[in-house]
Amino acid sequence: MRVRHKLRSLAGLAALALLAGCGAGGGAATGPGSANEPARGAALNAEGTPVSGGILRLSMNTDPLCLDPHAISSDVEQIFGHILTDNLVYLDEQGQPGPYLAESWQISPDGRTYTFKLRQGVTFSDGTPFDAEAVRVNFEHMLDPTTRSPLAGPYIAPYRDSKIIDAHTIEVHLSVAYSPFLDVLAQGWLGLLSPKAINETTPAQLCEKPIGSGPFVLTGYTKNQGVTFAKRPGYDWAPPQLKQTGEAKLDGIEVSWVGQDAVRFNSLTGGQYQATGYVPAQNAAALKNNPEFVYANVNRIGLPYTVEFNTSRAPFDNLDVRRAFAAAVNVPAIVATLGFGERQQSTSYVDRVTKYYDPAVKLPGFDPKLANQLLDQAGWTSRNGDGYRTKGGKELAVQWPVSQAGTVSPIFDLIQAQVKSVGIRVNIQLLPSTQVTTLRYAGDYDLTYGVWHTNTPDVLYIKYASFSIPNAKRLGQNTSHLSDPQVDQWLDQARQTTDQATQQKLYGQVQARLAELVPGIPVYDNSVLWAFSRKLHNVSVDTSHGTPLFTYAWLEK
Amino acid sequence: MAARAQVGRIGGRVLAGVGVLWGAATLSFLALHATAGDAALATVAGDGANPTQAVLERVRQDYGLDLPLHRQYLNYLGNLLTGDLGESYQQRISVTRAIGEQLGPTVALALSAALLALVLAVTVAVFTAGRRRWVRSTASGAEVVLASFPTFVLGLLLLIVFSFRTGWFPVSGNDGFAALVLPAVTLALPIAAVLAQVLRAELEDVLEQPFILTARTRGMRDTAVRLRHALRHALIQIVTMSGYMIGTLLGGAVITETLFVRRGVGQLMLTAVTTKDIPLVLGVVLFAAAVYVVVNLVVDIVYGLVDPRVVTA
Repeated sequence: MRVRHKLRSLAGLAALALLAGCGAGGGAATGPGSANEPARGAALNAEGTPVSGGILRLSMNTDPLCLDPHAISSDVEQIFGHILTDNLVYLDEQGQPGPYLAESWQISPDGRTYTFKLRQGVTFSDGTPFDAEAVRVNFEHMLDPTTRSPLAGPYIAPYRDSKIIDAHTIEVHLSVAYSPFLDVLAQGWLGLLSPKAINETTPAQLCEKPIGSGPFVLTGYTKNQGVTFAKRPGYDWAPPQLKQTGEAKLDGIEVSWVGQDAVRFNSLTGGQYQATGYVPAQNAAALKNNPEFVYANVNRIGLPYTVEFNTSRAPFDNLDVRRAFAAAVNVPAIVATLGFGERQQSTSYVDRVTKYYDPAVKLPGFDPKLANQLLDQAGWTSRNGDGYRTKGGKELAVQWPVSQAGTVSPIFDLIQAQVKSVGIRVNIQLLPSTQVTTLRYAGDYDLTYGVWHTNTPDVLYIKYASFSIPNAKRLGQNTSHLSDPQVDQWLDQARQTTDQATQQKLYGQVQARLAELVPGIPVYDNSVLWAFSRKLHNVSVDTSHGTPLFTYAWLEK
Repeated sequence: MAARAQVGRIGGRVLAGVGVLWGAATLSFLALHATAGDAALATVAGDGANPTQAVLERVRQDYGLDLPLHRQYLNYLGNLLTGDLGESYQQRISVTRAIGEQLGPTVALALSAALLALVLAVTVAVFTAGRRRWVRSTASGAEVVLASFPTFVLGLLLLIVFSFRTGWFPVSGNDGFAALVLPAVTLALPIAAVLAQVLRAELEDVLEQPFILTARTRGMRDTAVRLRHALRHALIQIVTMSGYMIGTLLGGAVITETLFVRRGVGQLMLTAVTTKDIPLVLGVVLFAAAVYVVVNLVVDIVYGLVDPRVVTA
């Protein structure tokens, strides 16, 4: 074992020496844009004649403790979903829904009936044929409360029922018009499982042994240790966008959970793994400059990393105070510190790769003078002994409950220090994640933070529609508690129309309105950072979430 | 007569052990419920999750989290009596199975660390006890440093030197012996340091005894005196220290397993606590308490056999 390890390092050294000798840098086929920001749908390190065989060793971050894509929200499913399962829809390079297991579809004029024509000859790995009934059973499994679906179910919440027209035609009825329906069907969490497995096992059993129709089959799962996948013989229904057919090239994929950043980075460069789905941002530069690796930094669709105000209570129910706080925060300085040069500053309330992202939207910038002026205007004119502003004897202080599993993010301290200079006190409460979650749904905080990744601009509905404000009867993700009739109306209209020009106009208006309402401070466009050895070829960039897709990846002998 | 006293004593200890288990279960149950945070929300509605209210209510119902606390407690104790530790909220498998699946690697780690600690402690103590001042103070100083070193710092140092830099050992994982070395050393060193201190003090005590002098006058060589005579007497201290060792091994396993990304009961405990997986935390606490109780019981019995005066005392 150790001898082999040493040999590998020697081979690596030899390769390095060769490269240095030739003066070649190792140019990657990373598609348009800079070398580190490959386009969605691009095939990375695709040169060479494909060979079959080999096991890919992949390191991931944390075990979701359940592998049923419908039952988890863990972002490993962005990668696992496309290893184990197939979807009805696959997005193309421009983010438009394209065929996959659904060959075509029709949408009724009222936007509430979707008729899918399904691909024939597809089977799940337990032999069950893929048909209209399978699709129906999957939708119902996602929505069944016993599945405990945190994402798949909620993403198809408007689903009402299905009518099976024939074995390969299904008519899906929605309770309301919901234009993001096709987009969300392309997400890893909505991969399709064998209806036989769904019907014959409990949700808990399905967590351990989900059965899909994908290019690989689950062959082993040891919790907190790893997962093994083996190539599915006879697989021949990859999304047409991959422009390849037939079985996977790899014999299998061996996944290990490596939670510590430093360990994950070193075990990758040390040759213990050939790919990782999670490059720590602080190690990105080292990987970028390492000619033995291909490094990818792909922007995600959805809500940027955003610091959010609780607009439902004082002091952030006051627009001037929100604007003042935002003006006191030096976002570029924070992005430089947090991102290690790997993140771009946000320019709107959606990441710049989101469909209908509006580049014309202008977020208010860093302006301490304006911040002071706005706070004076809001009546916070006097200061106490600590230098914080007061009004009627009350200090301008806000509560920020935060939790961090490993190291505490410097963002909390940076913001605390920055807004202190205009006289706002931020009390950071470091709590266990369970308590932060509880406070979040109870609305008991002044500041919160987060990201939301999806593959549609409907993320704005999830984050900013009044409907999404959590209350005693409904959970929801509108953590800024923003309630604006105009925003609500536009977001509803965007859900009701499938006309792209109208959607573009509506989502643009929403972004401009949010920039005025300041429900939060978008900080940086979040991106997925991943890397793999140059010995691994033809890794695609998933069009939904920018993650690596290994369907036709192959390993040099 | 002596045999009956022995049995009665053991019976009393067993009863006390059951009391300890009940106390551990009850205190942990209360502590877990007293800490803020909604377990059902933590189970299904953490970061990045957007479940419906129906899902949340279903989870509350499934786990009886909607019942008053005293009902939940009685249900828990009732199930415990039938040997049912409940189902892990996060893993959705029985707690017994969740612990069982992680037990092997932790036992391997703990046993190898314990063995290594013993060998190190005995070696160092035997060769430094009663030696010249500088030898003893150097050893003792090193031991104090090691014993007070936080486990994660020690582990990280070992990782940096023997893995990141030299590549001699794998960085992480559960694969084979090589992956066990650094975690076992990390866990063993602080224990070895404490044991060596205790052993040396004891050895030095024994080496002053008249029978040692007798042995020496018989012409026995120094090493033989230390190993055959002194060590035998000093080793009883190690048995007394077994409780400390087990505590440190279990506690240290949480940190060591996390640092080296090893599967095991320590990792299991950590995730269970952070996600408020109540049955799983209670299960691991009970398991740890049971190990203590059993080990102490065995030590008691061994004492009684070695030295019958303990029984009547």
